[in-house]
Amino acid sequence: MRNRYHFYQPGFVLVAIASCAPLFGQVPNAKTIHETGQQYKEGNALTSFGDNSAIGSQAMFEASLKAKKNIVDMKPNTFLSLWNNPGFAIQFEKYLSAPAETSEDAKLYRQRMERIMELLSPGNATKQNQDEAFNLLPKASDFESDANNCTTIHDAVYAAANARLQIQKLTEVDRILETKLSAAQYNQLHAAQSLTLSAIAPGKNDVKDNDENQAELRTAKLDPSKSNVATLKQTIQRNQAQIASAEVQAKFAMQSLILQFFVQRRYQHVIIIDRFYRALFDDGDQSLEGFQQMADKMGYNKAAGAVKLIADANPKGATAVGSGNNRRGGAGASAGAGPNGTDASVGNNNNNNDNGMDASAISGSGLHMGVENLSVESAENAFVTGMKGASRTFKSLSQLDAFANEVIRDVNEGVKVYKFLLEKSEIESAASQLASVFTKGEYLPSVRLLTQDEKRKTLAYAQLCNRLVNAANSGNIDALFDVVTKMKAMNPSFDDAEILAKLQGVKTASSLLVAQAKVAASKGDLQSVQTQITRAAALWPNNPEVTSFSADMSKLGNVARPEVQALTDFDQLDSQHNYRQIFDDKEKYIAALAMDDSNRKSERQEKLRKVLSRMQEIETSIMRSQEIARRGDYAGAWEGLDVTFSQYPDDQKLSQLRADLTTQAPDFVHDIRQAKSDEEKKEYGSSLAWYLRSQSRYPMSDLSKQGIQRIVRLIMPDAS
Amino acid sequence: MIVLLVLLAAGGGFYGLHQNGGEASLRTTEELDPSIYYDNANSLRGNTYKIDAEIDSALGNSPTKGRLFSVVLKKQTQSGAPVVLPVLVPPTLGGLTIQKGQHYLMKVKVVEEGLLKVEEARKP
Repeated sequence: MRNRYHFYQPGFVLVAIASCAPLFGQVPNAKTIHETGQQYKEGNALTSFGDNSAIGSQAMFEASLKAKKNIVDMKPNTFLSLWNNPGFAIQFEKYLSAPAETSEDAKLYRQRMERIMELLSPGNATKQNQDEAFNLLPKASDFESDANNCTTIHDAVYAAANARLQIQKLTEVDRILETKLSAAQYNQLHAAQSLTLSAIAPGKNDVKDNDENQAELRTAKLDPSKSNVATLKQTIQRNQAQIASAEVQAKFAMQSLILQFFVQRRYQHVIIIDRFYRALFDDGDQSLEGFQQMADKMGYNKAAGAVKLIADANPKGATAVGSGNNRRGGAGASAGAGPNGTDASVGNNNNNNDNGMDASAISGSGLHMGVENLSVESAENAFVTGMKGASRTFKSLSQLDAFANEVIRDVNEGVKVYKFLLEKSEIESAASQLASVFTKGEYLPSVRLLTQDEKRKTLAYAQLCNRLVNAANSGNIDALFDVVTKMKAMNPSFDDAEILAKLQGVKTASSLLVAQAKVAASKGDLQSVQTQITRAAALWPNNPEVTSFSADMSKLGNVARPEVQALTDFDQLDSQHNYRQIFDDKEKYIAALAMDDSNRKSERQEKLRKVLSRMQEIETSIMRSQEIARRGDYAGAWEGLDVTFSQYPDDQKLSQLRADLTTQAPDFVHDIRQAKSDEEKKEYGSSLAWYLRSQSRYPMSDLSKQGIQRIVRLIMPDAS
Repeated sequence: MIVLLVLLAAGGGFYGLHQNGGEASLRTTEELDPSIYYDNANSLRGNTYKIDAEIDSALGNSPTKGRLFSVVLKKQTQSGAPVVLPVLVPPTLGGLTIQKGQHYLMKVKVVEEGLLKVEEARKP
């Protein structure tokens, strides 16, 4: 697993902690960095410059935005690490959402595949069974899930069989030619032995001419038979070369197909074509060395990233061997690659009069599989790598056959284990197991037959994993925390310790930045405040400290604007019903409301109008009562205030003055209160007596007069 | 002559007895304590008292309930403050002429709502 950001390494965490240690040590009263910042704000400076730099460096370090992006770039869970691969995630989620392949067509396909494998199984692969299996291949390929692989096998087997037939014919031709060659060589020898020439020259001076004539005559007589022998030899050699070439090409084509299926994880197809190969060629343990040589020459484009695929990534492979000891001309082999593919050829020179040669050629043309899926991680390179790896790993076809069988068994067992783990609610292990069997044997029946119900929990868990990765990439740590919580709830064995630790780290970093912003604010460095708070919000957008700090800053800003502060105060005093305070500072609020440009202006103005009207009434009543009191009429003064007080009982000044006057006319006040008390208790007789008594004390009392009239009407509704 | 004297004596005795009986009924009736009445008139409900009062003012007149007056007790409180009480003269005493300033001895009963209902009234 990648761990590119050393931010997460334990060593760095220790360094971070160590860097904070002196900070905490020097400020014993500050338990957190936040509190330390508060002390700054309150003007309680720390003891050293290192404190401030410690906060800053720590915050800078923790604030790396890359940190949160790679919050899941660790290995807390096997399944989660698998989920980090987008290509796999998409494929796997598609599989989890897909229904089980239980249709009649799918069932028939599986039956045919099993029948083909049964017909080709060791000890059962008679000529008749091979033919039946061969004829079943196109039928099996009718089904979509086969992806025409059985047709490919069918064609390869057909081509190989044709090659075998050609080889047999050439071998028969060679046998006949060998017979003819033997006869020609015998005839040549016999002709040479039976050749009779005049040994004596006619004269002494004719000896030289006679020898020359004899040589020409010998050549003329023996040349046809020599030519015949040479021609036969040449033909036989050419046929042998063709036999070798055809067999090698046929074997190579099938071997490459076997490896291709292996890399594609089509293990059933691997077994089927492998068994056809064994039936066609009697070298089942043939070394794959030749194929390995070809595979090594296949192109691998390092530039092909996760989604790139370069056009020249076509694999080209060709190999040729040849030998010949002829001095002139002779045999040779060549191989080459061109824009249209690769080629290999073997040939010899007709002038070769010496011994024959060995030759073989391999052409890798057409092995480019044409996989150009640009949406997933370089499938091309993956294929090439797989082919190379397979060719190096397996030295013989029997190894491949055995391994394919082992994979099928392993996948089938893995599916059983998955079901068991699912039953035990061990969702993490179950999901990892399913991902493993999916990776190994996506196309095997046991994997395809899992129902949606059996995959539902894993799908839900996988989607949570997907959300976890997305949340981590988005940087929304609150969303990430939410997902982790849900994953933990769904899967108690989910190892969330590391993720939560990282989340806490990011939150701490955000808080440190807020603290830094507070320090800057205390120094009036608004630019630093903006920088730090922006970074804090970027790390943790919903950080409550960021919110509260912003609110505090807004308040500070309002202080700088008195009219805004005045409006805020007005709203606050109004909500507290503190109308007296509003009245006392009415000039300020009138001015502030005049400058109010908010949509609450009319509402505030109406409130202010009511407040002023009310206070005017109260103040008038107070002034009147004070004037009456100055004349010594305390009862009258009290009575005047009491009427106003009954309307505005929450005015402190009114209440206080009324209380003062109560002490000046206690009997009258007592009588009135008793009268009201009895009136409330519907003791009208007693109430009337008290009103009469208060009236006798203060004949001008309106309260008494009104009370008496009220009580009389209650006692005598029909009174005149 | 003797018979005439006996009749006169009998008639005078009856009148005297009758006159002494009215006075006797007020004389034996307990006087109302205004302080108790003010403090808790309910506790006096159902009781009958006599008051010696002067008519202060007419408060109301109802054909069904009677007439409501305020009266000032002749007996003042210890502080010297006048005691003013409401009294209800029921329609049954409708023949009684009551005016402001008149002095009456009244027999009152404390009824519901703490009202003082006049049962009997005469000038002293």
